[in-house]
Amino acid sequence: MARKKRLMTWGSAIAQVFASDAPAVVCPPMDSEAFAGFYERSARSLWAYLARVGGDAALADDLMQESYVRFLTAAYPADGEVAMRRYLFRIGTNLLRDHWRRQRSTSIDDVPEERFATSGDAARTEAEAVLGPALKQLRPRDRQLLWLAYAEGYNHREIAEVMGLASASIRLLLFRARRKAADALRAAPGAGAGPRGEAR
Amino acid sequence: MSPFGCAREREVAELVESGQWPLAAARDVQDHVAGCRVCGDLVLVKQALGRARAETMAQPVLPSASALWWRAQLRKRNEALDKIGRPILGAEIFAVALLLVALCGLGWELRRGIDLRGWSLGGWFGALRLESLWPATWMSFEGSLWLVVPMVAALAVVSGVVVYFVSEKQ
Repeated sequence: MARKKRLMTWGSAIAQVFASDAPAVVCPPMDSEAFAGFYERSARSLWAYLARVGGDAALADDLMQESYVRFLTAAYPADGEVAMRRYLFRIGTNLLRDHWRRQRSTSIDDVPEERFATSGDAARTEAEAVLGPALKQLRPRDRQLLWLAYAEGYNHREIAEVMGLASASIRLLLFRARRKAADALRAAPGAGAGPRGEAR
Repeated sequence: MSPFGCAREREVAELVESGQWPLAAARDVQDHVAGCRVCGDLVLVKQALGRARAETMAQPVLPSASALWWRAQLRKRNEALDKIGRPILGAEIFAVALLLVALCGLGWELRRGIDLRGWSLGGWFGALRLESLWPATWMSFEGSLWLVVPMVAALAVVSGVVVYFVSEKQ
């Protein structure tokens, strides 16, 4: 038993060396019922993130499914559901990045913003009418930052973990992205609410 | 105060998050937000993204959790099979390489005009005797060296495969 335990420890340690995304402390495999509960609680927010940042509902469908499959096949963190959700978002973020890289073999930041224009079902809502044009003006990375911070409520350390950025740089990046987004929202036609929440 | 933030940012963010903004917010906080660019931006962006999140989360038709779970199990199984198959493929390649070396050696010996009668069954057993592993024996062994080296190597490969399967079972 002790030998088996030692073998498993070595196995997971080697897996962590080779997988840069692997968490520090890993969980034993999740059974289908536990997964169903976790999926029920996390799938919609992951889909919303992928749809809003990726700007494509069909793409969000594909990436969400792939995120969960990778989550289940990888060694995910053992320190609670919050950490598991963060890990799931990290997988989703990496998949989005891979998708953009595949589309064009240039840097994500060099891709014209029009490519990220929101389309499909994600464009039909009232919030989208105001937010859509504003988001179009932002870089994909800025959208990711803003969504994680203000829609998902992640703190700077968590955002850094999800996006694979240095924690110290998040504050400044977020500040700039927020300023750009606020300017775009104020300038957007049909922007109905100022900071006080009343119609302008 | 940092140029990239405001001391009351957290307080304002909590009010927006809890849905207390703007009606349940204190007058001084409302006045502060009206005059502070950082907090004004924060409220505007946080409210817009919060609404967008709520609306977007209602949209997807989610695939069943069990379908995803089984897909993951299938992928895990395929990955495990690939992992097991990789060393076996390596051993196969090594075995083919040994065979080629042995055939080349045999061809070379034939070109030199060595009498093939030396490769009789008795000769083969002679090559498998322990003394044949001594370097001094190799010198006097003539053609049998091409038989000894691949056989020892093949033995090493077979041992490696056996050890691998035993460790896999563990």
